[in-house]
Amino acid sequence: MADAPYVLDAKGKDLRAASTELKSKLAKDSVVVKNASHLHGLCGGLKSGEITIEGNTGDYLGVVNSGALIKVPGDAGRYVADNMTAGTVIVEGDADYGAAQYCYGGTVVIKGNAGDFTATMNKGATIVVGGDVGDEAATYMVGGDVVIGGNAGKNLGNYLIRGSIYISGEWASLGHNCAAGDVDADDVRKLETLLKEYGVKADAKTFRKITPVSDKPFYSH
Amino acid sequence: MATVGAFCVTLHEDKCINSRMPGKCATCVEICPYGVYSLNGDNEVTVQNYNACVGCRLCAEFCPENAIRINPAESELVSRYPWTLGTVEEIHHKALTGSYGLRGFGTMGGPTPHFDGIVVVPSQLSSPAPRDKYREECNMEVVIGEDTCEKPIRLQYPFIFPAMSYGALSREAKLALAIAAARTGIITNTGEGGVVEEEPYYANGYEMPDRKRKIWEPGGYLVVQWSTGRWGVSADYVNAGDAVEVKIGQGAKPGMGGHLLGDKVTEDIAAIRGIPVGSDALSPCRYYDVVEPEDVKKQVEFLRDITNYQRPILMKLGPSRPYDDVRAAALAGVDAISIDGLVGGTGCSPEVVTQSVGIPTIALIGPAVRALKDLGLHRKVKLFALGGMRGGLDAYKAMAMGADGVGFGSAAEIAMGCRACMACHQGNCPYGITSQNPKLRERLVPEEIGQRLANFINASAEELKILTMLSGHSDVKELSEEDLRALDVNTAAITGLKLVGYERPLPWWENGNAK
Repeated sequence: MADAPYVLDAKGKDLRAASTELKSKLAKDSVVVKNASHLHGLCGGLKSGEITIEGNTGDYLGVVNSGALIKVPGDAGRYVADNMTAGTVIVEGDADYGAAQYCYGGTVVIKGNAGDFTATMNKGATIVVGGDVGDEAATYMVGGDVVIGGNAGKNLGNYLIRGSIYISGEWASLGHNCAAGDVDADDVRKLETLLKEYGVKADAKTFRKITPVSDKPFYSH
Repeated sequence: MATVGAFCVTLHEDKCINSRMPGKCATCVEICPYGVYSLNGDNEVTVQNYNACVGCRLCAEFCPENAIRINPAESELVSRYPWTLGTVEEIHHKALTGSYGLRGFGTMGGPTPHFDGIVVVPSQLSSPAPRDKYREECNMEVVIGEDTCEKPIRLQYPFIFPAMSYGALSREAKLALAIAAARTGIITNTGEGGVVEEEPYYANGYEMPDRKRKIWEPGGYLVVQWSTGRWGVSADYVNAGDAVEVKIGQGAKPGMGGHLLGDKVTEDIAAIRGIPVGSDALSPCRYYDVVEPEDVKKQVEFLRDITNYQRPILMKLGPSRPYDDVRAAALAGVDAISIDGLVGGTGCSPEVVTQSVGIPTIALIGPAVRALKDLGLHRKVKLFALGGMRGGLDAYKAMAMGADGVGFGSAAEIAMGCRACMACHQGNCPYGITSQNPKLRERLVPEEIGQRLANFINASAEELKILTMLSGHSDVKELSEEDLRALDVNTAAITGLKLVGYERPLPWWENGNAK
């Protein structure tokens, strides 16, 4: 890997042109992308590589990510890391509506705040939000971990089926099929590792853990 | 329970093995999904509840002695409507249980306008002369994505197998569809339940993943679906097929997501969908990652990017507001649009939804075609009509109304052996089509049933060819509304087709204000 990253100026380029250039450079360089706020779905389906998106990002950044490391020093648009299956997406600032939806695996870290419907239908990813999340976070989750360093809005974890939600602050209301309890020693170890690794300031021991009440909340069996 | 009391069940005791030797045979008791038959304390078969019979005749087919007769009962619609026995029983069921009815398959019975209200106009003196079906050629090829992607799809016939998921269907049924698609050069579709390992290379005609020797000519295509549940979706999944279909809705239950009950979520299905064994897999009714119309366009764009601009992107719509929905889909930049009508089927849905939600297929095609024409995209963005298509005759009518092709979903299930018992959701399909039970699935041999499906497609293509040529055309793209007439005022009013005898469209169609 070369010392200095390749700088891709996306100004005036469409998704195809920017994406083709990005993919051709990623094989041997890390890439810094500038002026890409008009591109939606950039870094889609990448299996490896390291990309930094400077400035505002478009929507669907890193959709179906399959192994790349994507860093956003600023804020992310809507649906960042949508349907990710592997890799890491780190947003230093805030994320707009619907961050990390439909994820199967990998890690998404949003150090600031995240919007409504964050981590909807999480099926196995680790999703860490340092700040607050909006309403309806972790809706219909069927697996994985969602860690919230701040507060949550209304209907947190609605119709949780499997997986765990860890939250340090308050929630406005819990969704259906959710029960709040205390973290155990294993949870604390897991949280301490995550919080330390991603620089989130919170005390792992003070988190509450939200888990599903029933395995099959939709139809009674 | 719309069919309650609609059939008389007769057991001929002189033929029935059980009536001669109680306990020796109870095939009808085992096979009936509705408990019409039962064994009494002496192991004798009795007709316990003939009111529950839906007329599928599974029992008659499986009876080793041909001892069962099922006959339609005299219609109560005449004497008791609206308080027919079916309605009375349905209200009793709700009152007793507090729950509504769930079932599989599509819209049954009722007043749904359908293609039977339309006839084909043959060619005589005043139109181009008929073509010879036996000795002249007829072009039926449809190409999807010719100008937009590097690997367009070239359908040998204007047919597709629409989306039916692994989970709703068995693995064997999915593979049979893939083999049939390969043998006939058409499309099969993963549905939204992830991709079965063999599906991509089977659909292309190869028995082995190395793709060295094609054994099913000419080879077909696999469409992978991108849907609201996003089950099993990854970058590899999106690239596993020959096209990606964005599912917005379906005919059997537009406005609702797919339902796969936990009983059908086996280890294999759970692994492919990436969810826990036995958990209900309920797809959301909408995309959580779409909050404004522009987002759909962005999704189409990034799907093109993830597939390296090689493969067509399709879209599937339920039957809602066909003009505006098809317009929006075309503006999102897709290469083909499937629009599914009211009659479309499903593996499991609330009965009221399957039965009465959505616009009938024949009323969708006209507005959908006008939307494409208004954008200058008719015949460029391909339109497939789905929902209750039974064969080449329905296909001809849909295509003369302006569709580029049609999909056979329920008809494909029937071609696999299904008798439309409407109990897909129970998971006990005796043909192994919609069951995940290994003993029942054993009955479905993919190669054999794939051949049945291919036969059905070939025969339907021949029907389409006959009709196309006798109406004076040698290419299915030449078909037009002039090749059709409506048989009744209602059909003429809905479709804008010329009414037989009147030989013109009904007056309000002639001012050109139709949407």
